[in-house]
Amino acid sequence: MVYTVLYGFSIGAILYFISIGLSLTFGTMRVVNFAHTLTYSIGVYILITLIPWLKGAFIPAAAGAILAIIPISYLIERLIIRRLYGESLDYTFIATFAITLIGVDTIKLIWGVNPLPFSAPMNAYLNFWGITFPVYRILIITIAIALFLGLEIFFRKTIMGKIVIAALEDKDGVRCLGVRVDKYFSLMFILGSGLAALGGVLYAPISAVHPYMGLSILLLAFAVVIVGGMGNLRGTFISAFALGMVMALTARYWSQGAETMVFIVMAIVLCFRPIDI
Amino acid sequence: MEAKKMGMGEKTDDFTPRGTRAGLELFVIAIGFFVLTPLISMHRVKDFMIFCIFALSFDLLYGYMGRLSFGHLLYLGTGAYCFGLFIKYGLNNAFLAMLLGVLAAGCLGALLGLIMVRATGACFSLMALAFNHIGFFMVLSPLKHITNGEDGFGAHAQPIAFLNFNNKGVLFAIVLVALLAVYYILRRLTLSPYGILIRSVKEDETRVRFLGYPTYFYKWLTFVIASLIAGLAGTLTALNYKFVNPNVMDVHQNVGVVFACLIGGAGKLYGALIGGVVYMLISNYLAIYIQRWEMFLGIALLIIVFRFRRGIWGYVESLGGYFQRRKATHPAG
Repeated sequence: MVYTVLYGFSIGAILYFISIGLSLTFGTMRVVNFAHTLTYSIGVYILITLIPWLKGAFIPAAAGAILAIIPISYLIERLIIRRLYGESLDYTFIATFAITLIGVDTIKLIWGVNPLPFSAPMNAYLNFWGITFPVYRILIITIAIALFLGLEIFFRKTIMGKIVIAALEDKDGVRCLGVRVDKYFSLMFILGSGLAALGGVLYAPISAVHPYMGLSILLLAFAVVIVGGMGNLRGTFISAFALGMVMALTARYWSQGAETMVFIVMAIVLCFRPIDI
Repeated sequence: MEAKKMGMGEKTDDFTPRGTRAGLELFVIAIGFFVLTPLISMHRVKDFMIFCIFALSFDLLYGYMGRLSFGHLLYLGTGAYCFGLFIKYGLNNAFLAMLLGVLAAGCLGALLGLIMVRATGACFSLMALAFNHIGFFMVLSPLKHITNGEDGFGAHAQPIAFLNFNNKGVLFAIVLVALLAVYYILRRLTLSPYGILIRSVKEDETRVRFLGYPTYFYKWLTFVIASLIAGLAGTLTALNYKFVNPNVMDVHQNVGVVFACLIGGAGKLYGALIGGVVYMLISNYLAIYIQRWEMFLGIALLIIVFRFRRGIWGYVESLGGYFQRRKATHPAG
């Protein structure tokens, strides 16, 4: 049972990394970003490429992968997402899905179609009261909590964070104050993509690496964002961990049903609280 | 149904030669597919037509009512599976199985529609995607003992009277009749006051509700009709391939029908037909010449979204001429 809870928290942490960007993009730009987890998979692939190059050092390679995402996500934002402001949701949906298709095909072109092998960078275990914990999962949870606190401070204390929070509430109002909202949106997009890449880099060692890996986790991230409320950052945090726990508990008793249970929860939530977007 | 009698009931009646015109359109479509047959093989044209039926059902939902479903394949898959399972475990009667498949897809649509149509925009799309995912998972894992999981199962329908379902000519005729019937029904529906109502829902739902129409019911009804037609496409798929596997409701294949609908011109029945044929041509032939055809599809989708929103039929329509001008006043294709 302890393992299940730990597993649930680590899945929740990963979901949090990925859905925070999705929630931000939707809240500020009103764009449902299907291409969000593209950066997640590209990050993982870059990590795999960098690791032999850096002679197996995981942390520099991970940092490199996240840094490499920044120009890519900037290009996506600048060339595609920016043109979609104010468009109807259908078109943003289709356009970002098109980016995903292009991206997945590019991954196939560069790294091939077959799944790549990749294993956990640390196999250390921690012993507590006779129960062993895998250090790696604990590390993921710690990073998630640190990130949550960091983002809370960022959005409450810094001027940039305050502008973004204000723009989530009322974009035009902020623009009227003479703030260049687009610039901040761009930064938020890059931040979100970077966090998705971080999620990918941390999750890759405990999952499979293949070109479509982004699409399967994307659906889960959407479920998290819908359950937590689009553009609601704390809601995203709570729902990420709650759904992570749902996945872990389901997997304990019925291993194939884990992902499906998340969607059932999402459907139930939507029945009682339909979101008009 | 009272709402149907009100509204613009009289207006559609000044299509005096409606019967003949509908007949002409059906004739043109049939001729179009017959012309395609010698150019590409008959087997392929059959696939094209099945896909066109599916595109038409999607167009009703997206083009007419403005609900982008990213999980419409669920209903196609339901139709296909019910058809296959009935053939395999129940009676080996293709027509009964088709009826059952269509009804099953309709029932599923009626049930899920109760929840689905409450949402709009992205929420609707994501819910459709989620339900499609659940359906895909159901046939893959919990129902594995009857659906045979990933491998799928064969569904060989026995001949009924002179209809031998192994003969591709017979299959071609069945699919063509189904396509023409679906086209005719949808044409009547979209030209009727009901069609105007669902287009109004797309434009401004609040206003329609303000006028006193029960929009929830009409949205649900449209959803059920679209599910029924998608189910029909599913049963035809299973009848055609004599084989059912989870790929028929693979979540990632949904983009195909969205693409077809957009490239042909959303909100036009002709658009859905042209888009269906164009998409099938691309996916069948481009894949032979260009290995990276998904990338091509992505780029084409981007171009459509940014530069080419009216689709092929939209441009054909605006070419002018008497016929087109008359169409423009009654925008239903």
